[in-house]
Amino acid sequence: MEPDQVTMEAIARWGGIVLPNEAARIGLADNAALIAELEALRGTMGFEEEPSGFEAALRDCREPGQ
Amino acid sequence: MNAPVAAADLALLSMTEAADAFAAGEVTATALAEACLARIAAQDGVVNSVIRLDREAALEAAAVADAARRAGRPLGRLAGVPMMHKDMYYRAGRVSSCGSRIRRDFRPAVTATVLERLDAAGAIDMGTLNMAEFAQNPTGHNRHFGDCHNPWSPAYCTGGSSSGSGAGVAARFFYAALGSDTGGSIRLPATLCGVTGLKPTQTRVSRAGVMPLSFSCDNVGPLVRTARDAARFLGVTAGHDPRDPTSAREAVPDYEAALTGDMRGMRVAVCETWFLEGADAPVVAAFEAALDALRARGAVVTRIAVPSLRAINAYTALISRVEGAAIHANWMREHPGDYAIHLSARLYGGYAFPAHLYVEALSRRGSLLRQFVAEALTGHDLVATPTLRTRVPTLAETDIDADPANWSRFMAVSANTRPFNYLGLPAVSVPCGFDDRGLPVGLQLAGRPFAEATVLRAADAFQQETSWHRKAPAL
Repeated sequence: MEPDQVTMEAIARWGGIVLPNEAARIGLADNAALIAELEALRGTMGFEEEPSGFEAALRDCREPGQ
Repeated sequence: MNAPVAAADLALLSMTEAADAFAAGEVTATALAEACLARIAAQDGVVNSVIRLDREAALEAAAVADAARRAGRPLGRLAGVPMMHKDMYYRAGRVSSCGSRIRRDFRPAVTATVLERLDAAGAIDMGTLNMAEFAQNPTGHNRHFGDCHNPWSPAYCTGGSSSGSGAGVAARFFYAALGSDTGGSIRLPATLCGVTGLKPTQTRVSRAGVMPLSFSCDNVGPLVRTARDAARFLGVTAGHDPRDPTSAREAVPDYEAALTGDMRGMRVAVCETWFLEGADAPVVAAFEAALDALRARGAVVTRIAVPSLRAINAYTALISRVEGAAIHANWMREHPGDYAIHLSARLYGGYAFPAHLYVEALSRRGSLLRQFVAEALTGHDLVATPTLRTRVPTLAETDIDADPANWSRFMAVSANTRPFNYLGLPAVSVPCGFDDRGLPVGLQLAGRPFAEATVLRAADAFQQETSWHRKAPAL
């Protein structure tokens, strides 16, 4: 899939960053694979409403007795 | 002084063997350093693992260590042991290139806490090591300092981003090296070069004075020869650091005391989703043999499905790519031509991710960790996977700069390591065999948060059952 010209223009407008080389087109097009993964997961994921700190989860998930 | 260790054998010792031999008076620090320096001089022309070698400073530090021992002064746990580290650990006033042209002359004003802790333990810092540019590739390519070459066969990748750390430890140039791991950058070079690499729990080791790649997923850890080496190294470097407010306040246990060689009562889960999908046959064969070795030590191995892995993997890619892009935004705007093609190409894609997905990925990190632990680590102590699903690729077939069509092969290298960065879990990679081309295969073992003692106990038991970790490349 060819990267969208609109996406490249948005990157340039938001960050002042322009396509650095031709390989970057492939890098941008490769985002399609991740988009497809996220699309497949749509409906099963979403913003976590309840407070749920990652560091707290690390502590809570320690080995029993640790 | 006890009976001296034969000079020809010194570089082949493990880190703990070298430290214990020095402490026992069986070898001098000077002899250890000279053995390492001789191998570097003879063989690094092929491997290209070293960026900066501080030969005279290393020999001076070794002489100081020898004098301290002769005088009967207290010795640190790593006294007299030569090491080198990935060139992204800052030492005040010393150039830290981060493997880049952009920072070729960068002299930090601070010293990394991990270096200070290694110094305090008596380790000898001989210099800095080659690495992926800004720690941003999983293969070991570097356009500015030259690609790092696998000591088992120079046409093959070392793995990255801690390429010089893995290759140099494998080549017996030094006894230990710091790597960093954001998506597999310790475990991959450990696997591809046939050494042991430990990514600790997120927050376990201070990141103060360390070049950032992704604030959420960066980890500091060692590449060494054995699980026992990793246990001692972690014991020296772990623990809260006021200079890194994100570092954990959990107590640091005696990791070496956990190394009983016994896995009776331990349960190991093999996730049939994700980690074995599309795996090469020689890798699967070595992995299955490794599971047999764990069983021989008393472990019970069971096969499970882990539905949360697809979401975990998608979120991992989001976070590290977006944070990496943010860190490099100014340089990408002002000096894009100073990056290697493969790096600027990779960074560029990161600017296209929508912010709401990045925020969502961060917001769900805690709940997905709880879900993964419920699915995989409730009733199990460890998860086992191949560290790399495929055989070791060549430098040519993963070279994006030469041919952008190599992109997918390049990106696939870290598929099995990335999930544990999002989850923040400790994971070790140990050598578990060789593929049909004579390149190493790695076994990855991951545990619950702060369960490094359990992870290392299993890795050590595996190494007591097998001899893969003792094999050295014939350069």
